[in-house]
Amino acid sequence: MAQAFPKKPSQPTNAAIVVYTEDTFATRSYLPAIATGLATSMQHFFENAREMIRGQRPDPITEPFAEGITTVSYPEQKRHYPERFRGVHRLTQRDDGSPRCVACLCCSTACPAQCIFIEPGEYAEGDKRRGYERFPVRFVIDELRCIFCGFCVEACPCDAIRMDTGAHAAPYDSREQFIYDKDTLLSFANRAGEQLSENPRHEPGDASHPGLSRDNVH
Amino acid sequence: MTVSQLIWAIVKIAIMVGFVFNMAAVLTWFDRRGGAAIQDRVGPNRAVFKIFGKEFRLAGMLHPAADGLKFFTKEFFMPPRADKLLFRLAPILSMVPVLALVAVIPFGDTLCTSDLWHASKGGVLGYIFPAVPRYGVCAIAHVQGSTVFPVDLLVAPLDVGVLYVFAMAGQGIVGAAIAGWASDNKFSLMGALRAASQMVSYEVAMGISLIGAMMIYGTVRLDEMVRWQGEHTWGIFAQPLAFIVFYTAATAENKRIPFDLPEAESELVSGYFTEYSGMSFGMFYFAEYMEIITVAMLTTTIFLGGYNLPFLHRDGLTIAFGDNVLLHQSMPHIWVTIFQVHAFFAKVLGLCFLHAVIRWSLPRFRYDQLMKLGWRVLLPLSLANVVVTGVVYMAIAKGGASLWNGLDVVAQSTQALVAFVLTVATLRLVVGFLRKRTHERLIVGSAGKMAAAAGGTPVTPMQA
Amino acid sequence: MPTFKLDGKDIPFSPGETIIGAAHKEGIEIPHYCWHPGLSIAANCRMCLVEVMPAANQRAMMLDILEWDAASGEYKPQRKPKLQPACQMAAVEGMDVRADSSEHVKQARKGVQEFLLLNHPVDCPICDQAGECKLQDYWLEHGQYEKRMRDEPVHKPKATVFGETIVYDAERCVMCTRCIRFMDEVAKDPVLDMRERGNLKEVIVAPGRQLEGHYTLMTEHVCPVGALTSKDFRFKARVWFLRAAKSVCQGCATGCNAWLDFDPRYNKAYRYRPRDNEQVNKYWMCDEGMLSYAAAHEARVLEASVKGVASTPAHALEGAAKRLASVPQSSIAVVLSAQHSLEDNWAMLELSKLLGAKDVFYTQAADGYEDEILINKDKNSNGRGVRDLSPSAKPFGDLAKSVAAGSIKHVVALGGATPSGDRDAATLGKLDVLITIAAHTSSLTASASVVLPATSWAEHSGTWVNASGLRQVADKAIAPQGASEPAYKLVADLARALGLEVSWTKLKEIRAALGASDPAPDVRSTTLTQAV
Repeated sequence: MAQAFPKKPSQPTNAAIVVYTEDTFATRSYLPAIATGLATSMQHFFENAREMIRGQRPDPITEPFAEGITTVSYPEQKRHYPERFRGVHRLTQRDDGSPRCVACLCCSTACPAQCIFIEPGEYAEGDKRRGYERFPVRFVIDELRCIFCGFCVEACPCDAIRMDTGAHAAPYDSREQFIYDKDTLLSFANRAGEQLSENPRHEPGDASHPGLSRDNVH
Repeated sequence: MTVSQLIWAIVKIAIMVGFVFNMAAVLTWFDRRGGAAIQDRVGPNRAVFKIFGKEFRLAGMLHPAADGLKFFTKEFFMPPRADKLLFRLAPILSMVPVLALVAVIPFGDTLCTSDLWHASKGGVLGYIFPAVPRYGVCAIAHVQGSTVFPVDLLVAPLDVGVLYVFAMAGQGIVGAAIAGWASDNKFSLMGALRAASQMVSYEVAMGISLIGAMMIYGTVRLDEMVRWQGEHTWGIFAQPLAFIVFYTAATAENKRIPFDLPEAESELVSGYFTEYSGMSFGMFYFAEYMEIITVAMLTTTIFLGGYNLPFLHRDGLTIAFGDNVLLHQSMPHIWVTIFQVHAFFAKVLGLCFLHAVIRWSLPRFRYDQLMKLGWRVLLPLSLANVVVTGVVYMAIAKGGASLWNGLDVVAQSTQALVAFVLTVATLRLVVGFLRKRTHERLIVGSAGKMAAAAGGTPVTPMQA
Repeated sequence: MPTFKLDGKDIPFSPGETIIGAAHKEGIEIPHYCWHPGLSIAANCRMCLVEVMPAANQRAMMLDILEWDAASGEYKPQRKPKLQPACQMAAVEGMDVRADSSEHVKQARKGVQEFLLLNHPVDCPICDQAGECKLQDYWLEHGQYEKRMRDEPVHKPKATVFGETIVYDAERCVMCTRCIRFMDEVAKDPVLDMRERGNLKEVIVAPGRQLEGHYTLMTEHVCPVGALTSKDFRFKARVWFLRAAKSVCQGCATGCNAWLDFDPRYNKAYRYRPRDNEQVNKYWMCDEGMLSYAAAHEARVLEASVKGVASTPAHALEGAAKRLASVPQSSIAVVLSAQHSLEDNWAMLELSKLLGAKDVFYTQAADGYEDEILINKDKNSNGRGVRDLSPSAKPFGDLAKSVAAGSIKHVVALGGATPSGDRDAATLGKLDVLITIAAHTSSLTASASVVLPATSWAEHSGTWVNASGLRQVADKAIAPQGASEPAYKLVADLARALGLEVSWTKLKEIRAALGASDPAPDVRSTTLTQAV
């Protein structure tokens, strides 16, 4: 994404010299000031009303004019989030679609809001990952508690949890809906639609993974 | 009372109450949408209904209806230790007096039904509804054995007029006080106390400010006041100081910004209706907007000439300065009445608009400032107004015919001024609407800059 | 007492004691893996190497070594003192030992750390030992932070099941042989041994056997790293979330001292760890005892009930008072419990005095397995305490007889196991009124007309008297669960509901009264340092 920011203006745009008014009867009575205030309000009202009626409203982001309406109509219009915006968490997937997470609880340890709950499980006897890894039986994030600090992402040794979805926590109408479970978190993708992570991962048993058996020692 | 009188009474009540109710709903919309326009926002635009797949939002006009539905479906919550009876009674008490108050407000001149009846035998339109004389009372006719009374276009032509208004306006506070007392909540109680003391303080100034007007009009009947204003000049020109005092005090009685201390959000949560929810809260909320309308009606009636338009009299259009009649155009009585009724409601809506603009322009008073304004500024001003009015009135009464004629010309000049100002304002509005506005490009804030670089706000459905 | 100097500090020792042992008693830890105060000396981990300065009339024992000289780019011959393992070296009067103050020792510890971590998988995130692992602690303290080996580490079996309770990960093992020595010396069942040599070494179970018996979980406890993990605790919690409370095992009359590890966030107990006490359990606990922490959550009475219908404690107290209102108070029998704390039983005994009750009984569980090491056949944690407190109390059998004969109709009881378990419910069902204050379900709660929920040993502080008459205090760990309250408090509430005036409200007052009324020695458990 091109980042062509406009140049900084040579002087601050919102600075003004404060002019003190004389203490006269007119200022003491407040009536002229009230009239001025009402006039200003009405000016804004009529001008904005005209634009609303005539459909001349500018794009509130690219053209926020000095006296234009600067509201973003949220569900229809969406403000761009910065690239490093910490959005809703997602669990990255392995190639086979299972979570990369090994349920080490590093994220829930680092979490200052204690919003991550993980129940680890052990792979069954005979599974190639048994002994090398564990997996999350339950992985629950309470998005209401979360403060979006990103410590969980920093703590994760497996690049299993990320906050690169670019989405903020959507408004729901009950608390239960904010409790994201493992499948929900796994279903999210990053902004490019990727559900994996770029970082390579050595699966037990892969050719890239170190030997496994006693016969395969160095 | 004849059947026709009964029907007329029902029609009049329907007009007034219907206007108050509907406009209160529209005002809740305007307070939000207009406030948004004043503050460069968009305002409510979410409520939508669909017909054949097409969405209609009507600039948020559906929000009052949606709010009403919501109020009805929401839980009625009562604090466990609240006074069960008074808690339920309070919203009703705050709403009913407001409605009762509109009974004495004239929204049109007396309709001479008997003349209409006779006229209907004529041929061409102008002769179907003939003009009536400018002065004098309508005759009571006897048609086909039944009596036809002229119709006063106000619900209850009370002789006490303004006094009834004061009595009813004073009742509005009872609801608030009881609500605060019954809620078993300190915030509510504080709000109620503030409301009560504010009411007491401003009722005095409000009442005294009207004494000058009553002296000039020579009556306490509201319809008589309006008639006087039609013949001479509007109250705002005869009593400018009283107008300012009255309007300020009336705003304070409405508990509207900048006088909304009883429900100051930053201090008292919601003041006396903190504990109310659902429709009982809705009634307080609605009563506030109904009060705005009744206050606007009162102000119109007493100071803005009521239903009168400049130079428009019962017999038609008469532009005259002193004895020089520049233009006289006789108009059918029915048309004059229609114009006048519309003029009345237009003035009321104009004042409501002013109210909304004030609400979005002025900051809230501090409580001591409020009290100081009430007792130390408005009350002395209104007393002085009474004295000055009395002295001037006596001087004019002794002035003789030439002075009176001169004053007549001045009065008619004020009518001309009003007509001129209205015309200019209308033209300005039309021209302003047609003119294209020039914009100044200015992007403030890092998020805006980033979005600008990214090409604006995409209109796409949100993810997640 | 003779002394020697360790880093300039005088350390007293008894003749024959090792340097590390003497220092350990002084509260100074010399880093070690294989040494354990309760086991024989193996001296195979080399972590505890110290420099022993030569005596005045002796030459230092020096080694010739080659040291890399970065300046000249070649190895140079050097000499350095030969270090001694502190775990094997007996202390001698006047000996000058340098540990932390010796550069050579520091160098040696770094080397040993690096060596032990050469083939370590460093899978701390999924290792249960993480947080209480000696490899982690010493790596931070003395480690060679950069790993110099660029070769692939050796891979060995992982998650090998040793038995019902233990899983073994050979890659994490540092071959300290503590588990092998424990099974050999303490459990007297030499079922573990090692095979292969060098970096292929691993611990195995004897062919055809499993790691079994009554002391298998101790092998996990003595393991300084995450090689042995208990199936019960495996993956259940991270240890840094756990808080430990001093507790006393409720499994039998031995009264082993233990740390009860619990997670305050979930108010849940997770495991027991032995708490060292030379007088009681030394460093060990049995498997049954180790797993008995689960009783804090299993078979609990968490709400009051009247005739089996759940209700509030206040309502249940009302019901109890109503049922006993028309009964002469002296005819009410009071039943103590060998499974409740001394304080609870004292309160109950006071109640019997206030009622003027003629009959006082006590319940206890039937005898069970016993061995020479730790396990007592008396399966009650406070049997001795109850018998000492009220020597006249009659056992449950007498109560059963009286109930069967119909001479006792009304009973107020502390809940606890009865000798025949569920079969006693039939006997107790003949009672008109049975009011039970219980932490756990039993036949006493099954046939009770009113049940009041009491806290278990994990939820309030209590005193327990073990088989040898030693009074031990268990501290409160988790918060009371459900509607449960301490039994002594419920007894007081019950007494008040019956219109009696009680003299106690606080644990402190009961303890003071206990100290006066009971001549048994009030010895709080003596504890050594926590980690070994």
